[in-house]
Amino acid sequence: MAHQAHAYHMVDPSPWPLTGAIAALLLTSGTAIWFHFHSLILVSAGLVLLLLTMFQWWRDIIRESTFQGHHTPPVQKGLRYGMILFITSEVFFFLGFFWAFYHSSLAPTPELGGCWPPTGVITLDPFEVPLLNTAVLLASGVTVTWAHHSIMEGERKQAIQSLTLTILLGFYFTFLQAMEYYEAPFTIADGVYGSTFFVATGFHGLHVIIGSTFLAVCLLRQVQFHFTSKHHFGFEAAAWYWHFVDVVWLFLYVSIYWWGS
Amino acid sequence: MAEDIATKLKNYRTAPFDARFPNQNQTRNCFYNYLDYHRCQKSLGAKGEDLAPCDWYKRVYTSICPISWIQKWDDQREEGTFPGKI
Repeated sequence: MAHQAHAYHMVDPSPWPLTGAIAALLLTSGTAIWFHFHSLILVSAGLVLLLLTMFQWWRDIIRESTFQGHHTPPVQKGLRYGMILFITSEVFFFLGFFWAFYHSSLAPTPELGGCWPPTGVITLDPFEVPLLNTAVLLASGVTVTWAHHSIMEGERKQAIQSLTLTILLGFYFTFLQAMEYYEAPFTIADGVYGSTFFVATGFHGLHVIIGSTFLAVCLLRQVQFHFTSKHHFGFEAAAWYWHFVDVVWLFLYVSIYWWGS
Repeated sequence: MAEDIATKLKNYRTAPFDARFPNQNQTRNCFYNYLDYHRCQKSLGAKGEDLAPCDWYKRVYTSICPISWIQKWDDQREEGTFPGKI
């Protein structure tokens, strides 16, 4: 019986990349069909296929790593590079929206009244709920670090507690933002102010939800003894992503909520 | 100062170089002079003073603003929807 003479992971053939690509096609074409012909069939199918793909692909990765031991140190190193590169790409994604915000706010056009915030826009007070949101995310950065140290020190109960607290803080942020969106005196249709505000904070909110979900999966895995004190890269990746989300919020808060008011 | 203004207005040919707006895009030059004329009208008019100095701003914005912009802003001012602060 031949064994591999190297430490790398030659992945078995998998259908999930194909289903993921089909999901991407269904989502894009489905959105166009929805906009022009009012049918939700394609986009719903795309969404379902996407969720199934993600669930099964990542489940398979957990099987290959935690249960079958394929994630040797070099493999883990590759995954680290991968996560860092992915987060870097997301930084550039947000940079674009910050560019758009500064382009419009540094030289406000006559249509806006030559001023920022534009004439007629009632901005949110940066020292009310937005400041609370900042505190919530900063606190969640502390609790996720507490969780990491707990995992590294083999403190199972504390790891579960701190990770749960992190997720709860994430949910609290999402809840507060949802309330703010509902109560805001302006909408996405209110000129370039509305556009830059809701697109930038909206994508950030989506990333908070994604990050919270990632952390929740880590919590489930921690409860089921997947992580060891030396090997828990899934958790580290989630923590990196969570810190990234926190930093993006800090830039949003200072630029749009505070300076932009 | 009033005689300077009168002389300046008499010798006016076109908008002079304004160092506040050194670049090719002169939108801000047009907009600010439009604003300044109407603010001048409003503040000097409130004090009951001579409105002649305000004419300088009007000459400048008439020289450099597109006529459609001036018409649009005048209409907005009448409707009460002009976004600039006067």
